[in-house]
Amino acid sequence: MNADSDLNRAMTRRLFFRRSGTGIGTMALASLLEPGLFIARAAGSANGFPDGLKALHVPAKAKRIIFLFMSGGPSQIDLFDPKPKLQELSGQPMPDSLTQGQRVAQLQGAPLLCMGSRYQFSRHGQEGAEFSELLPWTARMAGDITLIRSLQTEAINHDPAVTFMQSGNAQPGRPTMGAWMSYGLGSGNTDLPAFVVLVSGQGTGQNLHTRYWDSGFLPTIHQGVQFRAKGDPVLFVSNPPGMSPKMRRRILDTIRGVNQQTLQEAGDPEIATRISQYEMAWRMQSSAPELMDIAREPDSVFDLYGPEARTPGTFAANCLLARRLAERDVRFIQLYHRDWDHHGELPKSIGGQCQQVDRAGYALVQDLKQRGLLDDTMVIWSGEFGRTPMSQGPNNRDTYGRDHHMKAFSGWVAGGGFKAGAVVGATDELGYAVTQDPVHVHDLHATILRLMGIDHTRLTWRFQGRDYRLTDVSGKVLPALLA
Amino acid sequence: MTLFSIPILLRNTVAGIVWMTGTVALAGAGAKLDFNRDVKPLLSDSCFKCHGPDQSAGKAGLRLDLREEALKAPKSGKAPVVPGQPETSEVVRRIFSSDPDEVMPPPESNRSLSPDQRNLLQRWIAEGADYAPHWAFVPPRKAEPPAVKRTDWPRHPIDSFILARLELEGLEPSPEAGPGTLIRRLSFDLTGLPPAPDEVMAFSADPSPDAVEKQVDRLLASPHFGERMAQVWLDLARFADSDGYHDDTTRSMWRFRDYVINSFNTNKPYDQFTVEQLAGDLLPEATVEQRTGSAFHRNGPTSSEGGADAKEYAARYAVDRVNTTSRTWLGITMECAECHDHKYDPFRTREFYQMFAFFNQVPENPLQRDLHVAPVMPAPTPEQEKQLAALTTRAASLEAGWKAAAEPPERGAALKQEWEQAKKALDDFSAGLPQLRIMAEVPERRPTYVLIRGDYRMPGEEVQPGVPASLGALPTDRKADRLALARWIVDRANPLTARVMVNRLWQMVFGTGLVKTSGEFGAQGDLPSHPELLDWLAVGFMDSGWNVKQLLRLILTSATYRQSSHQSPGMTAGDPENRLLARGPRFRLPAEFIRDNALAISGLLDRGRPPGGPSVKPYQPGDLWREFSFGDSPDKSYVRDKGGDLYRRGIYTFWKRSVLHPGMAVFDAPNREVCTARRPVTNTPLQAYVLLNDETYVEAARVLAGRVMKFAPAFGKRLHHAFLLAVARPPTGQEEKLLRDLLEDALKEYQADRGAAEKLLAVGDAAQMADLDPAEHAAWTCVANAILNFDQTLTKD
Repeated sequence: MNADSDLNRAMTRRLFFRRSGTGIGTMALASLLEPGLFIARAAGSANGFPDGLKALHVPAKAKRIIFLFMSGGPSQIDLFDPKPKLQELSGQPMPDSLTQGQRVAQLQGAPLLCMGSRYQFSRHGQEGAEFSELLPWTARMAGDITLIRSLQTEAINHDPAVTFMQSGNAQPGRPTMGAWMSYGLGSGNTDLPAFVVLVSGQGTGQNLHTRYWDSGFLPTIHQGVQFRAKGDPVLFVSNPPGMSPKMRRRILDTIRGVNQQTLQEAGDPEIATRISQYEMAWRMQSSAPELMDIAREPDSVFDLYGPEARTPGTFAANCLLARRLAERDVRFIQLYHRDWDHHGELPKSIGGQCQQVDRAGYALVQDLKQRGLLDDTMVIWSGEFGRTPMSQGPNNRDTYGRDHHMKAFSGWVAGGGFKAGAVVGATDELGYAVTQDPVHVHDLHATILRLMGIDHTRLTWRFQGRDYRLTDVSGKVLPALLA
Repeated sequence: MTLFSIPILLRNTVAGIVWMTGTVALAGAGAKLDFNRDVKPLLSDSCFKCHGPDQSAGKAGLRLDLREEALKAPKSGKAPVVPGQPETSEVVRRIFSSDPDEVMPPPESNRSLSPDQRNLLQRWIAEGADYAPHWAFVPPRKAEPPAVKRTDWPRHPIDSFILARLELEGLEPSPEAGPGTLIRRLSFDLTGLPPAPDEVMAFSADPSPDAVEKQVDRLLASPHFGERMAQVWLDLARFADSDGYHDDTTRSMWRFRDYVINSFNTNKPYDQFTVEQLAGDLLPEATVEQRTGSAFHRNGPTSSEGGADAKEYAARYAVDRVNTTSRTWLGITMECAECHDHKYDPFRTREFYQMFAFFNQVPENPLQRDLHVAPVMPAPTPEQEKQLAALTTRAASLEAGWKAAAEPPERGAALKQEWEQAKKALDDFSAGLPQLRIMAEVPERRPTYVLIRGDYRMPGEEVQPGVPASLGALPTDRKADRLALARWIVDRANPLTARVMVNRLWQMVFGTGLVKTSGEFGAQGDLPSHPELLDWLAVGFMDSGWNVKQLLRLILTSATYRQSSHQSPGMTAGDPENRLLARGPRFRLPAEFIRDNALAISGLLDRGRPPGGPSVKPYQPGDLWREFSFGDSPDKSYVRDKGGDLYRRGIYTFWKRSVLHPGMAVFDAPNREVCTARRPVTNTPLQAYVLLNDETYVEAARVLAGRVMKFAPAFGKRLHHAFLLAVARPPTGQEEKLLRDLLEDALKEYQADRGAAEKLLAVGDAAQMADLDPAEHAAWTCVANAILNFDQTLTKD
């Protein structure tokens, strides 16, 4: 891929959401009249590009990322990682050799009993990857995705674990992955933010925090912008009652006229930036509702995603929106689907939960593939951690639950330079610990960055005198995941 | 060989260039290099990561941060640094080496030295390889203000320091800003509010030479001063109305905010303010106010997640307290040392846990979910304290009266009944008092261990409470507790405390501190742009008895401060960030004041309302809280307030960490999960949406429209008044034309569609103005909407 064109895109991004004090505002003003001018000039100016990368570190395989985040921690034991031995030992204590000194969350002080899955697994795809009967659609695309059975994280409670998955650190205050991408690569679209967030789920699981898409110590311009199913698609994007678009434009013209005069007098480039941001706001007043309007998608699309996709705010509708965002070159598209926290009565909840995500995830990958977008779009499906092979609550095949588990969990990746149709990593016969090809969260981050053309050790931000990075001081690119 | 090069310190920013050149000029081509200014930043950035204070990282056993280590020859090979002999110094050989296996820094480190930087290190060794302690760890000394050529400009010593530097660069200071600009600037800086039109008029008409001084004194005495200062302090205190982690339960800490506001309003000396917040509970016979101050360290985020390990969170809270204390008062980043010896500064992991040992002594349940989590105390407001005292006295005297009255029995019973009623009134009143989480100490000190790699399950060596040796030592004549720590922090010998606070106030006023990295004064922080001025102010601050108002008065009456902020291309080309201060400050208002400003301009803000009180919930679209909360979490819904509480200043807006009010978040307010020393200032389209469309601002526009329509019948007078309210000056001819055209177009539209006018005028709870023609009122609302969006309205200039 062409690094120059990527740089140009990044520059366009600067025009959209720009940091203060860059000193190129007057050029931005000129560009209002002649949009191409700004890009050409700024790209040639030595001081015009204070943030992000000057050029890609390595050739990029992907241009954008769709992260399907399963909030609460899906049970890999019941979805992705079949364990006949665990079935066999159901009801018996887990061997001390595995659990001694290891952390548990809600199982503190409780007996640790094996609990096999009640669900059937079968083989799919060329490599014969096994998927649970709960995920028939995902199984059908075994050839398109790579199943990872060896994910590992470092936090055992939801809030720090989600924070860790998103920002590479369990403590708050660090930028999230989307913010790093926005900072490093900018946006591919002049009318939409680089980092968009979509949320679904009933909210019977865990709280969400805006911290999960925060820019941390990076400038706020890099934080995720949530697009909403109800009310304004972006907060405050709609004109107030009784104000026509024509009147809004008329007011904007007046504001611009006055601001231009202030710019002439005060000479502060920040004023030029503000002028251009108001113009962007005007443009996004059309582009955001247009983006969210899925009703005009053809029936064939809804046949693919399923009828739920017609209901705004569902995971299926959000997957369809994710494709529309990818088409518009939004850099990082973050979906959150809640309610995976199955401490008790897992069999009662997990089926419905899978129905909400299974077909939609399949449809998204197929849709991207059909449109030629999968090659340069990464799709990632993961929770913040997995669940224990031990039961929580009754050790009973109808009512068992599972606690949080960080030593080994599963997810899948597709497109954007990831291997297709493979299974990476393995766990021991009881599914407790990783025995092969561990994929630590830091490694996943390093690998994702590499596919975006970034060396994870070199994408840094100086904060309080230290160069920070997404992967902190560790993380390695995992060739096993690469095509 | 070029011994001398311009961009020797060029490290961070474009803006850096200017003062780099200045630095060089100060050093003078013939002068010896200054270790702190010229050499240390280079060593720190390029070498210390492996050859610095972190002993575990020490490659080849070599440390370059200590002179005796750098001069020591290893068993085999040459000494890294031989003073006066660059040709025999191993460091010089290695940095100039072209062999990738030998060259330093090694290619895989992603660090490299430019030819100029190599030459500089070589020259430093040739000059004798002098070391000096890190500038910020040496107590400040008060230098004489420098002599300047243009003696008629400085009003007091601050200006001499600034002007001397400008003269060195061949720059001129800017002319004084106009009176409207100046009074608006002063008003924002000291109260966070715009001046009222009569204040603008009065100041503009005041010919006296001390007109500015009079305004500064008036504004410093305003009760809004404390609200303004709290805007800065609450970010450091990571003050919030919710727990932060997990389900983000509501907590009640607003009495701490009152304490901060009140402390600034009463000009509490900064040393006292510091001691109360770090150890108010440990002061002898601590008052309610002193103990209220100690709530500072109960403001950190907490969790109540099921299955969390209390020990892990207890450790986390202590870590937060160490980091917050060191950033707030010492301007240093200790958190790196939580897991390993600091790479750049002389802070050991051991020392981190010595600091930790002050803060892990709190008798708290780390995972409790409640409005109040012990230790708590009733925290009556001053008014409530008076009522409480009255009720207590009354109950006591009635009790005495009843006990004394033995006969007759009926009289005794009546008195008893009266006493019981008074007692009940007292009890009920006491039960209704606000509670506050405060600090306390466990009766018996808990042992503290180094946590290996920061892991709470891996205790290492036991440590005693203490402070980093490179910054001094605790007094030995008293118990090493939080109070001792607090007293050490405000001891005159502490090199950092005064500098950090002075710098913070400078940043508040000018947008950037004299030290740009206001939360980092360590080796990796930026050097001060005006080191002598920083020290002069810091020493003066201590000499004044840590008098915050006096310090601000000094800064705000300077000629430096009074300059116009207008810039010409020539001026900005070299100094876009205005570090040299050849012009006045100009930057967008912080989040809270953006809204305060709109409320004040429209008249919705009750300027007379006394400061303090519980947090309030202004307009917020939809139900954002419900979108993020789950099943059993409390406070699932945002229920907005009504009446006056809708229009309280932003400092009182309910601060929910997981879902910060969008009007705050979009203007860069932090969620306050961690201590924040400096907010970014961004400029985004989402900000335009808030100002154009948010109910808050549309209502303000409609009320402002009504206000100016009632002020006068003529267009010109109305617009004049609106401009005076918003930007403290009349409109220019061009502006008047633009807005007249807008009004005419809007009037046509709303006269043709009166239904639309009525819809627009129905936005917000504020009373409708039935006496105004709806079409005209709607048209003026459009004009006001434009005015509230002017760059100048949002900017302190």
